[in-house]
Order: sequence, then C-alpha cells, then structure tokens
Amino acid sequence: MINMRYSGYKGRILRANLTNKKTSTIEVTDEFARKYLGGNGFAVRYIFDMVNPRMDAYDPTNVVAMMTGPFQGLNIPTAGKYYMATKSPLTNGYFDSVSGGHIGAKIKYAGYDGFLITGRADKPTYLLVDDDKVEFRSAEKLWGRLTGETQEAIKEEVGDPNLCVSAIGPAGENRVRYACVITEYRAAGRGGVGAVMGSKNLKAVAVRGSGTNQVADPAKFEEWINWYNVEAKKIPSLATGLPTYGTPALVASINNMFGALGTRNHQGEVFEGWEGISGETLKKNYWNKDTACPACPIACSKLFTVKEGKWKGAISEGPEYETIYAFGSMCGISDAGALIKTDSLCDEWGLDTISYGVMLSFMMECSQRGLVTKENTDGVEFKFGNDDILVNYVEKTARRTGIGDLMAEGSLRAARVIGGDSERFAIQVKGLEVPGHSARALRGMALGYSTATRGGSHHDARPTGEYAGASDRKAIEGKAPWVIGTQQMTTIGDSLVQCHFLERLLGFTLTQKFVDMINPVTGFGYTLSELVDVAERVLDLERAFNVMTGIRRKDDTLPRRFLEEPIPEGPSKGMNTDEPTLNRMLDEFYTIKGWHRRTGIPAKEKLVRMGLEDVATALEGL
Amino acid sequence: MSVVLTQEKKPLIRFDVQKCAFCKICELSCTKCHYGKYGDALSRITIIRKSPLMFRSLICTRCDKRFCIPACPTKALSYKGGNIVVDEKLCNSCGDCVKACPFHGIKLHPGTKMPLICDLCDGDPSCVKACPKSALTLIWLPEVKK
Repeated sequence: MINMRYSGYKGRILRANLTNKKTSTIEVTDEFARKYLGGNGFAVRYIFDMVNPRMDAYDPTNVVAMMTGPFQGLNIPTAGKYYMATKSPLTNGYFDSVSGGHIGAKIKYAGYDGFLITGRADKPTYLLVDDDKVEFRSAEKLWGRLTGETQEAIKEEVGDPNLCVSAIGPAGENRVRYACVITEYRAAGRGGVGAVMGSKNLKAVAVRGSGTNQVADPAKFEEWINWYNVEAKKIPSLATGLPTYGTPALVASINNMFGALGTRNHQGEVFEGWEGISGETLKKNYWNKDTACPACPIACSKLFTVKEGKWKGAISEGPEYETIYAFGSMCGISDAGALIKTDSLCDEWGLDTISYGVMLSFMMECSQRGLVTKENTDGVEFKFGNDDILVNYVEKTARRTGIGDLMAEGSLRAARVIGGDSERFAIQVKGLEVPGHSARALRGMALGYSTATRGGSHHDARPTGEYAGASDRKAIEGKAPWVIGTQQMTTIGDSLVQCHFLERLLGFTLTQKFVDMINPVTGFGYTLSELVDVAERVLDLERAFNVMTGIRRKDDTLPRRFLEEPIPEGPSKGMNTDEPTLNRMLDEFYTIKGWHRRTGIPAKEKLVRMGLEDVATALEGL
Repeated sequence: MSVVLTQEKKPLIRFDVQKCAFCKICELSCTKCHYGKYGDALSRITIIRKSPLMFRSLICTRCDKRFCIPACPTKALSYKGGNIVVDEKLCNSCGDCVKACPFHGIKLHPGTKMPLICDLCDGDPSCVKACPKSALTLIWLPEVKK
C-alpha cells in the first residue's frame, strides 16, 4: 500500500484495459490529491490526459472512469455515492454522472481511489475487483439481461451476497445514447455512461474489499459529525421534507408556487394534473418504505408499490422528482402508477429516466404538430397523456425496435431526422435533455444550463438557492457570479462525491463550512480560496476538454423555445430569458471566469494561474 | 440446579425489515466500535438486499441450537453470558463455524482469520444505537434450559 500524507485516499487508481485484459495501477500523489481532490477532479484530469476529445465516444480508446473521493467508506451523511465519467455519446463532451450505491465505499475498501477502464473486450465481460485480485470474467450469459437479475447472477457466481455490482441493461448494450449504469436500485443516469460501457462489451463492474478507510483527525471529524447532527435538524428539508416525502416533495411547490413544472414538452409550466403525481399523493397511496444511500441517515429515497388499478403490482425505488417531471407533467400523465411502473422498467432496461421522458414528450409534440404520424411511429399515435406508450416504449427504446431506434438517439439527433422546426422544441442543451428546473422561471438556470459542462443538467448550476430566495430568480444583475458560485459548489461536491442536498446547510456556493468538513477528513488544511481554486481548476479542465471537441460560445445556449416563448400562464407567466439577455449574462460569466468572451475558450493566463500550463499549451491555436 | 441470572434470558438484535433503509450505518458503527476504523468486512452485522423489498440482517441470533459450537473441531467456541465466545488460542481458522451457521451470523476476519461474532458491545450494541431508522432493537428472550 502506498503511504500518503493525506487521509481519505488509498493512493492508487486501477487501470484496466479490456482489449488485452491487462491491469496496472497509477499512483495518486499527495500533490495530485490536493490539487484535484477526488471524484470529478481526478476523473477529468485522467480523461483529459488519456482520451482524444475528437474521437468518437464509442471508440475503444474512450475511458470509463469510476471514481471515489476522500469521503467514501466513512460515515459521512450524503456521501454514500460513486462517480462515473466518460466522453458522452449524447453530448460528445466530458460527462459525469453521480449515483448512490455501496460500490463507492467498496472501491475504497478494496484499496483504490477509482478505476479507469479502457479498450474493448472481444466478448461480453464483467470486471471483478477483489482487493488486489482483478479478473476479467465472461458475461456472455448475462448479455441481454436486465440490471437486477444481472447483479444477482454475479453475486451468485462470486458467492458473496454482499458483493457490490454496477451493471448496464440492454439499453447500454444497444448503445442507447442515454443508457445508464445501475447499482442496486440507484442510477448513474445521465449522458450515456452505460452506452460507453456497452460499446466496450463491459456488462458490469463488481467490487468487494476487505480494507477500511480512515480520517486525518478523528477528534475534529467526530466534532463535525456532532455539529452535523445538531444543525441538520434545523434545516426543514433535511429534517422532515426529504425524510418524509423524498424529492417528490418538490412537485407541489414548483408547480403551484413557482409555476415552473415543465408541462407537455414545455408548452406550459403549470400541470393541471399535478396532484396525482405529487409527493403527498405518492406518500399517501404508494409509499412502502424509505431507503437510503450508504451511510446516509436522511433516507430520502422512497420505495413505492402500486396496490391497485392498471399498474397494480409495480414496484420501484423512486420515481424521484426529475422522473416525475419527465414522465408525468412533460408527457401529460397524472397517474403515479404508470410513473412507478416506467421508473422500474427504466432501471431494469438501463435507461436514463429524464432523457427518456423528455425524449418521449418531444415525440408527442411532434405528433401533435403532425411532424410524425402513426405511420412513422409503429402505428401508435404518440399522444400526450397516453401512459401505455410511456410504459411500452422503455423496452422498444432499449432494444431499438421500431421508432424506438430513433428515440434511442436522444431528442437533438431525433429532431435533425424529423426536421421541420422540431429542433426549436427539442428540450435539450448540448444534446442533454433538460431536467425539471425551469430555465424560464429561474434566471440562474438559464445561464446555468447554457454554460454547464454537461449541458441540460441540474447538478452543474443549482436551482435550490433561487427557490429558497437566496438569489432573486428574476434578477439579471449578479446572476453570473451566482451561477459560477453554484457551479463551484457542485464541482467540489462531485469531487468529494457527496450529494448536493447539504447545500441548504453548508451553502449554495462554497463557504468556510465546506472547508471545515473537508479538512478533518483529509488533513489538507485548505483555505476557502484554495478550495475555490480546486473547483475552478476542475471546471476549466472540463471546459478545455469540451473546447477540444469543438464546443464554443455559440453552443452555450438554450432550446429556441426557452429563448423565444415566454411561459404562457401561471405564477411565472411572461418569464423567460431571451437571447440578448442571455448574451449579456454570458459576457459577464466569461469575464469573471477568465475565458475569452468571443469564443468561450479559457484564456492562457487563467489556466496558468490554475496550474494548468499543459492545458494552456494544448489549447494553443484553437 | 442454580442458573446464573444473565443466562435466564438471551439477547437478540431484532431486525425490522420494514424500517431498514439499507444505509448500512450499523456495519460502519460495528467496525468503528470494535476496531476504530471505517469498513464493512470487519463488521459482525451485515445487511443484504436481494430484491427491492427483500432485506436480511446477518448476525449471530444466539439460536437455541448453537450449530457453531459442536461444529468447531478444536472446541474454541463456547456460550457465555449470552454470547458465543471465541478462544483465539484454540481456534485454527478452519471456518467450519462459518459454514455451520444457517443464519450466516459468522464470518472470518480478513486479516487474522478469526471468527467475527456479535458480542453485543458489552450489552449496549453500537449498531442499535447508530441505526437512524430504529430498525434494530435489542430484546431479551427466554433461554431454553438444557
């Protein structure tokens, strides 16, 4: 074992090449850990160094990174997660997806800070990591199988019911561009990490470990845990909202207070059927029990069962708020039973629920406008409100049968095939379908989605501070620094690999409270400004990778619908961010970031200041 | 025949499957309590999940049959004060007790290869205290007299 000065790290990364079935380890140095922190920071540095940004995402040289930060395997609330990153087949840019699941802790216990998987196996394979022993095992019998049975079959084969497995479903095998990775019943959902695994013939990664993780200053750490236990009780969302209803609690307030619940592909943002899919309804009629990510006492995840009606017998962990938006209001469906059924099918077949729902709502609007007809869509009319389509097209999309083949491409690519003016209402940014936090009702999300590395993601810039009133959701002034601040916060969260739900406790942007949480674990002795620099460094690296794929300022934009059509009704009636306003905010954003205003490319001086001289060199001439 | 008071009742860490959220904080607290570290391989309680609703807790149940004791070829195991106690001098790490336990309540320490069996943390189990969902409770059952 490599000895490091800092705690929370194992000091090595496993590199596995599926083509030649060779493994090696990369040393994580003290300097590297301090500079990049973990998870997001580690992955973007390795991917920047290892992946040619211009190469197709399905090229064998692409890397699937599975990372942890210093917090995994400890008893830190909201840190029971793991981090996956790759070059996305959906956005073509750098992409990461964070998921709950015990595998993050297991990676630490096995003695690694993460895995970097490259190459392409000649036959379906799964990777088994058992402390120092790494095996490439045949997954031929597992190919085509659903994620739940795949996980159980691998546990059976290895003979360990406590083994952790992250698996793809048929959607990943068939390279659906938004295929996810499932661990237990949680998803690293977005951006098609599952499809990249599928392109590598990698069905699953299984991990067990006999080791432990440790903190630098146990007394200070204990103090922090005690502080958390007292303070978290004072935050309503952490003390009651999330534990009672989970994220579905948001449906009522976002629909009724803000009028910001995207409805029928954002033709409106007030859903008349909200009650049927609200957190209260789910709790009252469908709730079975609470479940949690590892080490998290909040247990915001809800297990729902459908006890009667058309979808009787369906059972799922979730749907979460974003899924309720994507399947429910976006598709005009107010029967929570159908949502629960589809949620479990998406997990089993391995589809991202947000992209699938938003993709489907896009198809429904195409049908409404006559851009697609029954003849194009397997003889079925894609009508808003049709829950049979919602349920049935999970499998068809995952298998790429019929119109499912087009739906598997994502809304941007589908719009380019369908033509007409359909791209105007394809609700995506950089190819990634937009989640349920309105870019029209929240000014910060307009700028946030436009500039996010991932595109339409609510985990780059965060909406929570605007809902809470910490930043005026209508203001233009001061929005750029606010958005930059929330992006820095999520970047540190993704590097620690910690959930963003602590934002109401620790801060919507980086604060001393983050520093006080990190230092006892790692022993870095960070200052707040050093932590902000870590975030900026990671964000600049992500941007640099994206710049090398061809992304420029012109791509930092929103769907035409958001720029041109104000919200037609409800509490946010008349609101949107038009192009001139967005441009004004973008100018300010790039200036503060130290990126060129005309192109959106990080300037040399900024990169050098962040200690990224090599990146500055790589960007020269672009 | 006189019976020592502590042996009239036997402890059981009862598991409420409906309340358990699968956070495994119990495993972390067990390891922390016994070894001062954070991990799960050293935990004497293990929670597994086989399907959305099927959770199980694997821990010594102090069952009446005590399959592990006769299974031990070196007589290293005994039942004292409500706990299965390992005599580490006698134990040869063969793992027969692990195989004998139908409740999967025993595993071997990955380093020393000694059996890991719940010892109730001196009567105040850390897992019970740590469970945020109160899914684990310590109860006392009547001892079957032999």
